Amino acid sequence: MTSVERYYVGKEQWESILKDWLFKYSVLAPLKKAGINHIESITSDNYQKIIYDEARPVQPLKTFLLPSLEDVAGGSPQTQKSSLLLGIKACDLSALPILDRAFGGDFADPFYQARRDKTVIVSSDCSQPWETCFCTLVGGQPYPLKGFDLNLTKVWDGFIIEVGSLKGRDLFDGYDKLLKELVREEELALQKMRREVLRKVDKQNHPHYLKRSVSELLDGQWESEVWDRHASTCVECGACNLACPTCHCYFLDDVTRREGVKLRGWDACLYSGYAVTAGGGTPRPRLVQRFRNRYACKLQYLEKNYGQLGCTGCGRCIEGCQGLIDMRKAMHELSKSPGAGS
Amino acid sequence: MMKKNPYASQNAVIEKVVQETPGIKTFQVRPDKAFSFRCGQFAELLVPGVGEAPFAPSSPAYRPELLEFTIQNVGYMTSRLHAMDAGDRVGLRGPYGNGFPLDAFKGRDILLLIGGVGFPPARALLYSLLQDRASYPRIVMCYGARSPRDIVYQYQLDDLGKEIEFHITVDRPDEGWTGKTGVVTTLLDKVSLNLGKTAAVVIGPPIMMKFGTLKLLKVGFPPESIYLSMERKMYCGVGQCRHCMIDHLFICKDGPVFQFSQLQHFSDIWE
Repeated sequence: MTSVERYYVGKEQWESILKDWLFKYSVLAPLKKAGINHIESITSDNYQKIIYDEARPVQPLKTFLLPSLEDVAGGSPQTQKSSLLLGIKACDLSALPILDRAFGGDFADPFYQARRDKTVIVSSDCSQPWETCFCTLVGGQPYPLKGFDLNLTKVWDGFIIEVGSLKGRDLFDGYDKLLKELVREEELALQKMRREVLRKVDKQNHPHYLKRSVSELLDGQWESEVWDRHASTCVECGACNLACPTCHCYFLDDVTRREGVKLRGWDACLYSGYAVTAGGGTPRPRLVQRFRNRYACKLQYLEKNYGQLGCTGCGRCIEGCQGLIDMRKAMHELSKSPGAGS
Repeated sequence: MMKKNPYASQNAVIEKVVQETPGIKTFQVRPDKAFSFRCGQFAELLVPGVGEAPFAPSSPAYRPELLEFTIQNVGYMTSRLHAMDAGDRVGLRGPYGNGFPLDAFKGRDILLLIGGVGFPPARALLYSLLQDRASYPRIVMCYGARSPRDIVYQYQLDDLGKEIEFHITVDRPDEGWTGKTGVVTTLLDKVSLNLGKTAAVVIGPPIMMKFGTLKLLKVGFPPESIYLSMERKMYCGVGQCRHCMIDHLFICKDGPVFQFSQLQHFSDIWE
């Protein structure tokens, strides 16, 4: 696809198509649940309550590709219906290449691959960032530019649909006549909306602006007192790891007393036992070392491993933190504290 | 078609168990299919229903049909393994990692600085070096054990002493010990080496590797001539789970053998 392929579809038409998809796919999308946007199973009873705009849901995208606990000993995962994930935001989409690379390659994980192949991703623009959102601080933006099969931008009483892949194009087989070519007013509405949301995210993050580029934040800062200060309220709950869309550390567990079962589960590098060997040794015995390691992984290691920054600015680590640790504040202080570049 | 499952093991049967020391046993293991590996690479050894851990074979790489693993009883998985006997079944997957760079070693003198259960991977390396003995002008091994009771492969050491320059020391001697006493690095004081020509291999517990490396640097070894076989907590072995990382490097995939020059600028290297 050389040029951007965009259409307009009215809400009613969109929902009539979606109702058909419910038969073919297991559809997952954000719904309001106790005031929180939570990705849930969509049925003919709740499809009209899907939240397409606002901001990211509580679960990171990895939840649906890499379950928090699964058996990886045996054959392929159960052949399941293809999944259609709706309402995924840019901050989750941009985590996807890291997961794809980590679980691809020479030792590709067939469980991840099977789910990935059977997942269609319909993303959507943010309209209202949460207070914790900071995608623009780490090079992102609150609307998807790539990595989706379809993207929806809610305008007036309908959606502007951008086709991002052949898989996305195929979704409309037989529905072509419901899609309208984009008119100039719609195009302008999209541009205007995106500018406004971008400004909102920028504005709320102004106090945390970075004096140096993100990938240089750690230069000369390994012994900085910023680490001690921010780690001082960490309770090692691991929420920042588990909620992060790019974190994908896992443990394997054979202690099932059943042969032929090997459980894989999400792990968290903040846990004191994370890297402890049978002999009891660990390279990061102190909490501040583990805290610093997480930042180093996000801001340096993942980029060296997979070619892109490990933080997408989704803000889940801030929202989930029991110790009120704000990654933006830590990064801001690292960017301006003396010793940088030394 | 299901792609190959990288977490699945092949079956193997324990053929023989040798008690090396009170806490260390060598397990001779026959896999269903020959397990080809290069010395210094490792396998994930599975005790079914119990656990899995990475071990480098101590047997020669040219004998992939019958492997040996020399293992200390230190944790849950190894204690269960130590309770196993000939005829019992285990699982194997791998081989993983880079192994020793034999091509880079060729033509050089080789110094092995080995502590405790660092001997098993060193033994696999020695088998490979001795198979091609003419390529290595000098092979010197300095081995340190905690006490005379903790020395592994005692039944092979006389023969080894005929093939290479073998030096041994113990930290804590007993009444019958007539050899040297002191940590393994003290052995280096008595050995004269051609530094420009020698590749040093360091394998052992973290504390020994740290002080061994510092000693080699002090003696004058350039960091790129010091080869370390690193160890960390590890699950997957295939560069996914991230438990074994040193900075951005995976011990399981980029290592386990590193030149010290690759690691020297990183922090939290040693346990």
